Amino acid sequence: MSAIAAKPGANAGAFQPVPSVIAIVLAIILVVVAYFLGSAGILAGGAMPVLQTLCLIILGAALIAFGVHFVPVGGAPAAMGQAPGIATGVAMLATGAGLAGLFGGAWAAELGLGVALASGAIGGALMMAITCLMVNISYVFGMGIPAASGKVLKDPITGDLQAAYKSQGTEGHGLPFISYVGGVIGGLFGGLGGTLIYIELLNFYNVGLPALGFVGAEGINMLAVGLAGIFAIGMFLVIAVLSAYNITGTIEGPHDPKFKRFPRAIVAAILASAVCGLVAMLVVALF
Amino acid sequence: MSVKIEASHDGIPHNKVMVIGAVISLVSLYIAIIGTTLGVDYLAFFGGIAAIGALIWGNSTIKKLCSYGIGTGVPSAGMLAFGSGVIALLFASTLSGISIWIVPVAALILGLVVGLFLGWISNSVLNMKIPVMTRSLAELAAVGSLALMGLGAVATGFVGFMDIATFDLLGVTVYNASYLGAGIIAVSFMLGAIALQHPFNACLGPGEKQDRTNMLAIECGFLSMIVMAVISFAFVSLIAAWISLVVAVIGWAVSYVKYVALSKRDAASWLDAKPFSDSEE
Amino acid sequence: MQEIIIGIGVTALAGALAAIAGAAEDTESNIGSQGDPNSQVQLAPQMGYTHRIYNKAVSGEPPAYTLWVTLACGVAWAFLMLGVNAILAIVFGTVLATFVQGVYATTAYLGRTASLSKFGQPVFIDVIKSVTTVTMAHAFVAIITTVTVCYLMMTVIGHPFALPLLGIVWGLALGAAGSATGNPYYGKERQYQNQKFGAGVPISASGNIVRYAEAGQRSSIDNGFFTAKFGGPASGLCFGLIVFFELWRTILFEDYLAGWGAVIAGAVIIIIFMIIDRYVEVWGRKNYGPYTVEASA
Repeated sequence: MSAIAAKPGANAGAFQPVPSVIAIVLAIILVVVAYFLGSAGILAGGAMPVLQTLCLIILGAALIAFGVHFVPVGGAPAAMGQAPGIATGVAMLATGAGLAGLFGGAWAAELGLGVALASGAIGGALMMAITCLMVNISYVFGMGIPAASGKVLKDPITGDLQAAYKSQGTEGHGLPFISYVGGVIGGLFGGLGGTLIYIELLNFYNVGLPALGFVGAEGINMLAVGLAGIFAIGMFLVIAVLSAYNITGTIEGPHDPKFKRFPRAIVAAILASAVCGLVAMLVVALF
Repeated sequence: MSVKIEASHDGIPHNKVMVIGAVISLVSLYIAIIGTTLGVDYLAFFGGIAAIGALIWGNSTIKKLCSYGIGTGVPSAGMLAFGSGVIALLFASTLSGISIWIVPVAALILGLVVGLFLGWISNSVLNMKIPVMTRSLAELAAVGSLALMGLGAVATGFVGFMDIATFDLLGVTVYNASYLGAGIIAVSFMLGAIALQHPFNACLGPGEKQDRTNMLAIECGFLSMIVMAVISFAFVSLIAAWISLVVAVIGWAVSYVKYVALSKRDAASWLDAKPFSDSEE
Repeated sequence: MQEIIIGIGVTALAGALAAIAGAAEDTESNIGSQGDPNSQVQLAPQMGYTHRIYNKAVSGEPPAYTLWVTLACGVAWAFLMLGVNAILAIVFGTVLATFVQGVYATTAYLGRTASLSKFGQPVFIDVIKSVTTVTMAHAFVAIITTVTVCYLMMTVIGHPFALPLLGIVWGLALGAAGSATGNPYYGKERQYQNQKFGAGVPISASGNIVRYAEAGQRSSIDNGFFTAKFGGPASGLCFGLIVFFELWRTILFEDYLAGWGAVIAGAVIIIIFMIIDRYVEVWGRKNYGPYTVEASA
């Protein structure tokens, strides 16, 4: 009921230059702080690895924020066939895909960074590919409703006309091909970003925990996995919810006008992940 | 218990609820810490009381925040609170290296700081323009951090990082069977996140009453404590785990019965095996 | 070689268990009325339509199932640590999770319904008694299968994550898959059975949900009978395919090209699903055709 009313306000989509610049400056200050903590020996591993870890965590968060904007989510109206998209919450659907990717990425972590990241990205995309397919099967074969977008006249990929396939009194329904592709790309970025955060934190803790006085071979790895896993999940949720706030709950995919708001979400993710990432790294700080 | 006194009044201002919740939470955490410094673990159940205090506070904050219509559901606020809270909590727990006594206050302050950043981001960068946003997200992160610490204390009896990262198995220190290494913190995370958003989400509607919602917050807290008490059998001594479990079950039963009674008070009618009638149309 | 054979066996078992979990999850959430379609159950009394449908507003399905599965995993782990047999430990964990689920369900129904007192919506005690137990039974099936999948992943396949972390990952995926696939079928097809078939529900009809059954007043359990025929199996297929292919591509192809084999296999599977989706979309457009404006309207 609230999702129907959640139309974008007059200037809700506007980019905010001043706060964005402040946010970027704050994020840079935090990165510099991390650099000095690393060179002062408070964070284990030295200045450059610490810098690299935090920068890649920020990159991962930016990828997640960008990816969330691709995921076609219609919320409550979609469950009634009143609006196109997947009938669930955007933050949790994006997180579901991202964590499915994280599962694959964490599994492949020992095969090197490249394979792990690719595996994470594919894992997220695979989850979305199957989910989006089943959504369309459910609409077409279960309910006899063809897919139609309410925001564009033509599907930008296939060129199919949309308006005639929209039933009366609705904003469209199902997942047109552009939304499907958007969902897969969203899962790809989500899985990639989540895995990047996880792997960076895992490597950092594997260095940091022994320096803190934890000894005992493979048990430490388990502890590092536990810490990096819960932090990656926590940060994923924070970024996904902030991005969901940015698109006010529903979006059709990359062709939706709301998609143009993504720079704001990326700026938000950069600062949020700089704060959360630095605090997460300080867990193994030497005082 | 002191927790139940405030629920009998209606219309308590948010600031008062916040102070009451924070004080209950911090005092209970300190009682749990006194137990660990004395070397006994049967005070661990005070962690559950701390979580309940934090949940009452967070519930009031969520009510304030979500009355503005944030564009996505109430549950997302709980997820955001605990996503940022878990980061603040674990950093705070490492400060036990300096002194165990600063850990609860550090969790509160760090949660507020991390949440302040997130709130400012939402309001300014994302242009949400909700007056209470910055303050609410700061409070929610602090609530998440305190509630997680409380639930962790129920499970393990400890709040310090070294103690929750290691586990003493027959005299050998192992990591993979610890609160963090075995991922039990994930259980606290989800228990807290759902318990935080549930009371307001469940009582949402024009007839929402503060005392009923608060009673549900207490009920959710005790319910989460039951689960952590069961898990605590793997960490703490048998007697401590039984104390936590019995306290949690009694607290849950009492609050559940009271919540049902309050629902009966507020409901339009209370029917058993009777049809609805369309006469009022 | 033997490792791969065991891996394939576990993959098949995990996929099958996941399919059961998905079907039970969707049926459970439709009987209890959870997630996005529940907004209409909430809205109906405000439009003057009192009803006997359950109102399980715990949260969306993904967070709720994340909690049930994660806590079942955590409790199962604790019992494993205490030396309890694995199957028994999983059952204990699931029983506690089901209990928590039932408590949350009743508090949500009582809370939401009592807050609707202004519109004359009564609280039905018999609805609580009959529907809660049915949702708990379905939730038990959904949780125990998912926890077993997580346990197999941790022990046999050797995933680095601890049991509760796997619980978060797959509980969330279960809720996401079940709600994405099953919600429209419950929301559009069942709640608005009185609306035209083959078209979305007009926004003007919001709140006018079907409240009468073949005989008497519709109960939420009737919704389970209906959605179990399509929405449930479709959700089960969705979650089953996700779990199966995530494991299958890694177990069979991880040894090729230094790990890139699994990535390539995954990419190929995605492209195949994309082609199937395009086929389904075109099939729908071709066979149903554009909507024509009715003369009487």
